[in-house]
This record gives sequence, C-alpha cells and structure tokens, in this order.
Amino acid sequence: MDYDNAARDTINAFAPSVSWEELLWLLPHEILGATIVFAMLAIAVRRHFFVTTVITTLGLIAAALAASMQFSHLVQGAPSALVTPLFLIDAFAVFFVIVLCLGALALAILGFGYFARLDDAREEFQLLLLLATLGAVTLASSAHFVSVVIGLEMLSMALYGMIAYPIHSKVGAEHSLEAAFKYLVLSAVASATMLFGMALIYSQTGALEVVGSANSMLGYASPLALVGVMLVFVGIAFKLSLFPFHLWTPDVYEGAPLPSVALLATLGKVAVGAFFLRFLIHSHLLLNESVTLVLALLAVASILAGNVLALRQTNLKRLLAYSSIAHMGYWVVALLSGVGLGSQNMAASAAAFYLLTYAALSLGAFACLSIASSSESEAGVLSDYRGLFWRSPWLALALSVMMFGLAGIPLTAGFIAKFQVFFAAVESSQWGLLAALVLGSAIGLFYYLRVIYQMLQPAGEEGRTLRDLGLESVGSVITITLVVLFVLWAGILPEPLLVLIAALFG
Amino acid sequence: MSESLGLLPALPLLGFLILALSGGKLPKTVVALVGAGSIGLAFLVALNLALPIIADDSLIVRETLYTWMAVGSFEAQFGLTLDGLSTVMILVITGVGFLIHLYSTGFMADDPSYSRFFAIMNLFVASMLILVLADNLLLLYLGWEGVGLCSYLLIGFWYVDPKNGYAARKAFVTTRVGDTSMALGLLLLFTQLGSLDIQELMQAAVANWSVGSGLAIAATLLLLGGAVGKSAQLPLQTWLPDAMAGPTPISALIHAATMVTAGVYLVARTHVLFELAPSVQLLVACIGLATLLLAGFTAMTQHDIKRILAYSTISQIGYMFLGLGVGAWSASVFHLMTHAFFKALLFLAAGTVILSLHHEHDIFKMGGKRRQLPIAFASFLIGSLALAAFPFTSGYFSKDEILLAALEFETYGTWLWLGGVIGAVLTGFYSFRLVFVVFFGGSNGHHDAREVTGFSMAAPLFVLMLLALVGGFLTQPTAAVFGAHGQAGEHTVSAALHAVMIAAPLLGMLASYLVYGIGLIAPDTILRSGVARGLHTFWFSGWGFDWVYQRVFVAPFLWLARLNKHDIFDSVVSLLVRLTETANELLARSQTGSLRWYVLSVVGGMVVVLLATDLGGLL
Repeated sequence: MDYDNAARDTINAFAPSVSWEELLWLLPHEILGATIVFAMLAIAVRRHFFVTTVITTLGLIAAALAASMQFSHLVQGAPSALVTPLFLIDAFAVFFVIVLCLGALALAILGFGYFARLDDAREEFQLLLLLATLGAVTLASSAHFVSVVIGLEMLSMALYGMIAYPIHSKVGAEHSLEAAFKYLVLSAVASATMLFGMALIYSQTGALEVVGSANSMLGYASPLALVGVMLVFVGIAFKLSLFPFHLWTPDVYEGAPLPSVALLATLGKVAVGAFFLRFLIHSHLLLNESVTLVLALLAVASILAGNVLALRQTNLKRLLAYSSIAHMGYWVVALLSGVGLGSQNMAASAAAFYLLTYAALSLGAFACLSIASSSESEAGVLSDYRGLFWRSPWLALALSVMMFGLAGIPLTAGFIAKFQVFFAAVESSQWGLLAALVLGSAIGLFYYLRVIYQMLQPAGEEGRTLRDLGLESVGSVITITLVVLFVLWAGILPEPLLVLIAALFG
Repeated sequence: MSESLGLLPALPLLGFLILALSGGKLPKTVVALVGAGSIGLAFLVALNLALPIIADDSLIVRETLYTWMAVGSFEAQFGLTLDGLSTVMILVITGVGFLIHLYSTGFMADDPSYSRFFAIMNLFVASMLILVLADNLLLLYLGWEGVGLCSYLLIGFWYVDPKNGYAARKAFVTTRVGDTSMALGLLLLFTQLGSLDIQELMQAAVANWSVGSGLAIAATLLLLGGAVGKSAQLPLQTWLPDAMAGPTPISALIHAATMVTAGVYLVARTHVLFELAPSVQLLVACIGLATLLLAGFTAMTQHDIKRILAYSTISQIGYMFLGLGVGAWSASVFHLMTHAFFKALLFLAAGTVILSLHHEHDIFKMGGKRRQLPIAFASFLIGSLALAAFPFTSGYFSKDEILLAALEFETYGTWLWLGGVIGAVLTGFYSFRLVFVVFFGGSNGHHDAREVTGFSMAAPLFVLMLLALVGGFLTQPTAAVFGAHGQAGEHTVSAALHAVMIAAPLLGMLASYLVYGIGLIAPDTILRSGVARGLHTFWFSGWGFDWVYQRVFVAPFLWLARLNKHDIFDSVVSLLVRLTETANELLARSQTGSLRWYVLSVVGGMVVVLLATDLGGLL
C-alpha cells in the first residue's frame, strides 16, 4: 500500500492537477485546437475551400477575442497565472497571442485569394495554418523548455507542409519541394542542437523552467550551462535566420508559395522572438559577457550580411529574405541594449515594438506580392513590378508604404521602431552596434528604394500584366488596406501603442 | 475655446492644400475665395481668441496638439501657446495678412500662376502662425524654416527671369547662415538645459545660469545669429533689397509686415535669456543702431521705389532691435505692429503706383502723379508721415517709446538715443524724398497713367491708412509677458529732449522739401563735389557689403568648387559603393543552394559561437 501511495505521489508531482480556472486561462489555445478538429471534420464531410476558410477565420477571431478579454483583465491588474509549469499567462504572453492570431487571420484571408485556383486540394492549407498558429501561440506563452519544444515543432511541422504545399500542382511553384526539404533538414539540425542545449542546462541546474528562480541566473550557473545556453541560441538564431545560420532563408523564401513565406516571416519570427525575449528577461543572461559578445557578433554580422546580400537582388522574394536577416540583426541590437537589466526596461519595449512592426511590414509586403500573384504564376521578380504605379497605383502605393517602413522612413511604423532601437542603443552606449545599425540602414535604403524606383519606371513592352483581381481577393484587399493604415497610424500617432507595449514590462 | 488654437494655422494650411492639390485647375474666383477667405476666417478666429487676452493679459491659452512619441527621456510634442505677445503677432499676421491677400486678388489678377501664388501665400501664413504660436523652439524652428521656404518660393515667383531666381537664392542662402547659427543655439540649449519647451527653458536658464555666464552669452549669440539673418540686420542685411524681385504684395506681407520681424519676435520670446547676457543685449542695441543708420543713409540714395522701401524696412527693424537691446521689449513689439501697418500700406501703395505706371520702378521717371494716382498719393502721404514718426501718427508713439527707453539705458544710453534721433532725421528725409519726387513736380514720364483701383485693391489701402494713423492708440496685451521691466512706464524726460525728438523727423522732411519739393538746392549741385559723389556711390551700393561679400565669401567658394571639379569627396563615396558591391559578390557566393554546405555553415557557426563563449569567459 505504501508503494501505491508513493507512486501516486510521484504521479501527482509530475502531473499536477489542472483546475477549471487554469483551463480558462488557456482558452485561446483550446479554441485553436477545437477549430482544427472542427475544420478537419468539415473537410471530411465535404471539401469546400470557402467554408474551411470561414471556419478558420472564425476560430482565429474567437481566439483573438478570448485573448483580448484576458488582456484587458491582466492590464487592469489581474495577477498573471502559471498554468501548470508549462505556460505563463501574463500580459506579455497574451499580447503576443493576440498579435499571432490576428496575423494568422490575415494569412488565412491571403491564402484564400492565393490558392483559390490551385489545381489540387486546397482546404488543408488552412488546417496547416491553424496548426502553425497553435504552435506559435504555445511558443509565445510557454514558461518551460518542454512547451517551447512542443510549440516550436508544431510550428515547424506545419511549415514543412505549407512550404511544399503546391507539390502536386502542375503549374505551382517549381521549387517548393526543394525548399521544404532544405528547411526540414536544417530545421532538424537546429532543433537537435537546441534540445542538446536544453539537456545541458538541465544537467547543470536541474530545471527546465524558463521563468521562475531555478534558471534566473543562468549566465553564472556553470560553464557547461553556458554552453547549453549557446546551443539554445543556435537553434533560435536558425529560426530567426541570423548570420551564419541564415543560408536557408533565401532559398526557402524563393521556393515556397507566398502565403507560406508570409507565415514564416511573420508568425515564425514573432513567436520565436517573443520566446527569446522572455528567455532573456527571466534568465538575466545579458549580465554575462560571453552572451553579449556572441549576440553582438550575430547582430553585426546579420545586419551587414543581410543588407549587403540584398543589394543587387532582383528577385523580390529573395530580397525580402535578406531584408529579414538584416532586420533580425537590428532586433538583436534592441535586445542587447539591456533587456532584463533595467527596471523600466526600455530595451524590452523597443524589442517588442520592433517585432510587431517588422511582422506588420513583412505581412504587408508579402500581401502585396500575393495580391499580384496566384498559385499558378507568382510575381516574384523585380521586373514584374516595373511600372506598377501606372498600372495599379493603389497596390504600388501600398507596397511603397511597406518599403518605406522597412527602410525606416519617418511617418511609418518602421521609423518609430528603428528610432526606438537607436535610442535604446544610445542610452546603453552600444557604439559599435550603432555603427553597424547606421551602416546597415544606409545600405538598406538603396534596395528598398530601388523597388519603388522600378514601380515608377514607365511600363515597357516587357511589363507583365498582373493577375486580374477576382472576388476571391476582396478579403486580401481589405487586409492590405488595414495593414497600410496600421503602419501609417503607428508612424504618425504611435503614442497609444508605445504606452500599451511599455505596460507589458511594467 | 482652446480647440480653435489649432484651427488658426489649420485654416491657411487647408487653403494651401486645396490650392496646391487642385494643380491650378480651379477658376480664379474660387482661388481668390479660398486664398483670401481662409486668411479672413483665420483672422476671425484670431480675433475671437485675442479678445479675452486683450481684456486680461495674464491669460495664457495652451493646447497640446499631439505627442508624436515619448521614448525614455525624449519626448516630441507639438503644442501651441497663446499669450499676450503671440496675440499681437497673430492679429498682425492674420489681419494685415488678410488685407494683403485681398489686395493680391486684384493685383495678381492677370498672372497666369494665380493659384500657385495664393497656395504659397497661404502656406506662408500657416508657417508664420506656427512660428509665433509654438510652445517649444523645435516647432518654432519648423515655422521658421517654413516661412524661409515660402519667402524663397515667392521672391523667385517669376522664375522665368534668372535674375529673380538669383535674388531668391541669395535670400535663401543668406538667411541660411543665420538659421544654422540658430539651430546650433537650439542644440546648445537642449544639451545644457535638457528641454526645448520655451517656458521650461526660461525657468531652467534662470535657475542654472548666472547673469553674464558664458553659456548664456553663447546661447544668446547663436540665437541672435538666427534673428539677424531673418530680420536682415547687420551683417546679414544684404538679401532684403534684392528680395524685392518678388511681386509687390509679397514684399508687403513677407518682407515688411511679418516674416522679417520674426527675428524681433524670437528675441522678445526668449528675452529672459537675453537678460542673462547683458553684453549680448548691448550688442543687439548696437546692431540695431548701426543697421538703422546704414540703411537710412542708403535709402536716401536709391532710385527704385521698392528698394527705398526695403532699406527703410531694414532701418525700422533696426529701431526694433535697438529697443530690444535696451530692454524695451514691449516698445519693440509695439513698433513691430505699427510698422506692419504703415509699411504694408506703403508697399501696397507702391504696388498700385507700379501697376498703374506699367511696371515702372524708377522714381525719377514718375513725378507729379498726385492727381493721376490720388489713392496711392494719400496712402503714401499717410504712410510716410507714420514712417517718419510725425506726431500722433502710429509710428510716433512706438518710436518715441524706443528712443526714450534708449535714453534711460545705463550703458551708452545717450549715444544710442542720439543715433536713433539722427536716424529719425534720415527717415524724415528719405520718406518724403519719395513722396516729393513721385507725386510732386513735373511729370517725367507715363503722362497718361491711370490709377488701377477696384474694391479689392482700394479697400485694403483705406483700412491700412486708418490703422497707420490711429494704430498708435491701440493697446497691446504684452505687460504680463515681459513683466515689470521692459514695460513702457512713465518716462521722465525734459521737455527740451522731447522737442528734439519731435523736431528731428520734421527737420528731415524740411530738408527733403528744400531739395526735392521746391528744388532750392538741386541734388545735382550737391553731387558735383567729389566727396559727396563718393559718399553717394558708396551709400547707393549699400555700403559696399555686396562687393565685400562677393570677394570674401562667394568668389573663394566658387574657386574651391572649381578646384574640386571632379569631386574628390565623391570618390570616397564611390569607394564605399565599390566596397559593398565586392562584399555582395563575395557573400553571394556563399548562397550555393547546396544543402551540404548550408549544414556546414550551421555547424561552423556553432563552433564559432562556442569559441566566442570561451573567449568571453576568459576575458
């Protein structure tokens, strides 16, 4: 009998009971999970792309609404909740859950327009999208390495499928299988590295918690723990495509269908970034000089390599891939300006704002591209956009806003984001990083403006006509309008957003 | 009520947007309605805002338009403040501005670029209002640059003639020298006192800087540089006479009534700083005195009707600077207001003369025009009386206060006063020289001229005549802004000195009557002597400043530019370009597309990261 009791205690210790109240904190996750099941059933009953899309969007809206309600409670002072050791539901997590759900919503709508004419099964795209969103949401709210791995793998698994999605299509993207395969193999390498790093950390501190006291002074735990941290960094750096773990990015971006790339560039980056931010805040790793040295090297190398590589790129998808490398470098500069070290934590706010802005800008850019394209023919090459201003001025205007934003021109959110990074770096006297930031921004201006320059060129003989917009693109047009408005609003009147984000770290 | 503060610059801005975006496709009546109407409405708004402040001058209206962003200690805010000082300014800008817009609807009626003209005029008024309403120096600087840009665009309005383009460029570049100095001043103030909000700045300056401290002197000197450039004072006065290349209403609005007095406004606005630097304040007075005399002498020799008025403007702003220098803040702002009335009147009347005489500018080709051009004659008579400070006209009161304050100034007060009185003699002379030569005597050309009038052009003249006559009786609500001192108190001056001050302009008028009125002494007889001839040439050229600047600044600059024809600095930039291109080629080679190589890179990166970790650990 004693043995049974002991066994039960052991079981209880490993599987702590979850109360109803705690389950309520996971409502967005549950809604997403339920939507996946429901959508799968709907597909089994009858294949209908529109219906599947509607189910997907409704599920995402419901999840976003649930998260918003949680957010308003948390901002008004409700205590944050640790739901099992795996999830920490606080304002920070819920904020990113909302952002991720809204991003996924936009992607579902864009995907509908893009895949409407695919000569293959289309419904599963939304299913994979939901799965990826669930993974991203899990990652953003995780408080434990176990949930981190679960979230990351869920996101990655869905992405493999999404990148290779038009695989049976006769006219779909040609290189999607190659891209998916590259991503699969390299992602597996990165995941293995990361897992090994987590194991090393566990061996030294005996804890897998990201938040809480056990790993709160990770930088000083032991040399081996630090090696573990570095291996985790390698995994994260791969997902964020920091130099020298970036080589896959342009190939995958080029080969994958546009909505999948957009997901990779937005949800993928935001979820991993949010986790990284949380990890750094709670582990106080930046107190350790080895950590800052490594991150600084990664940041400077990414900024320079990303911008330089983008310089003469004529494929717009590859250009955006290189741009993402550079932007993630800028973002690491924000982290290095003292995340987790100051009480006010300006650097963390700057980093969170940057992540949000970058996601919005690349979502907008890919949305413009996917409006101009369809699964049969992608407008990926820069010359496809020659003279776009004269053919469809509004689309060209929207793409210009995104390019201005990515370049960090004032009156767009991109400027505010970059300004904050600059400011945080100045405040923490990161002069070397600032130099890289300035140099990178200067080079960046060249290739962003070249896109606009191409669009302003007179459309010659070779000017391809983009696809005519059908009914399936109504949602995409609305989405892109909203993104443009957001980018301008956050550039002209950023104060409310800045206050909101500062409250996440209050 | 406070909501309408933002409305004030918004109305002309809206007018500008409508006119600019319509691209000159609107009919002229609509353009006139939008162009002049927006300013008229703005005047009504200004009046509505001003009335409570005139009743109680300690009232201050504030409005934060919006906070762009607040990051850490940095906060970029756009706020407007209306106090007694800015009340005077907005009334002048919108009131006189409206009259000039109204006049322009007639004056510019035949111009093909009618819409462009009003668009820039409206933008100018909006910028000027932002300048005077700004509650921080950064926003003020925005307005400051805005008016500078409009001034440039309007001087070169008839850009087909390269001469006008040159004049515009000269004005822009010369004022840019001052603007740079001012920008440096702003940076200095921000780094030293940590704010650009005018109120906070003044309090911080008083708290942190002692009287005569080096920083206060440096900051005020830099600000003064900006003021001197904008207000065409020594040594940056050379651009204003050439700025007369623009249409005459522009000269009235920008180069007489409003923009050129922005320097006076700036010094008055930051007078707390200047009080901390008495030596700079004395410098302000000296600059004012020197400028008013120099411009006065030059005005006596000019032939071009607009250049005479331009030099007279420089001279009158010299008086304002003199007032600022002796701490008579209120009197200076008073003179700014009355000057706006009578100088706008004179310029608009000059516009009528010029238009009636088929774009004739040379006063010696006019003569005896008082019957042909009765309204212009009346305007000139009244305007010149006010300009010369004839007793009980508007100019008399304001100039009187400045001179009395100068007299009471402890350092060199008597000398400053004496200089001002001599300047008054000159003013009397050159203003009535103009009147006698143009309107009296025999006709020297354009015998069949008929006055161009019409409601839109005549009405503003009549209103301004009235203001020039009785404007001196208007009270201004600046007492609270400038505190106890700087306020016109009861001056205790002997009757003899007062008599001298009244007599001085009359003396000038008399001399001018003798020379040009009845020809008792012909100008040619004076000019026969070598000394007088030399002086005349020297004065006529504006004391040779252009000549000197041409040799000291322009020529060496052009020489340097020629020397560097191939632009060696550019090769540094090209080197950078080539460097990045090479880097691009090298890095692009790493994108092989081969999976094996990619994995290798990940592993290699991992090794480097771990090495760096060890390295960091050893450090």
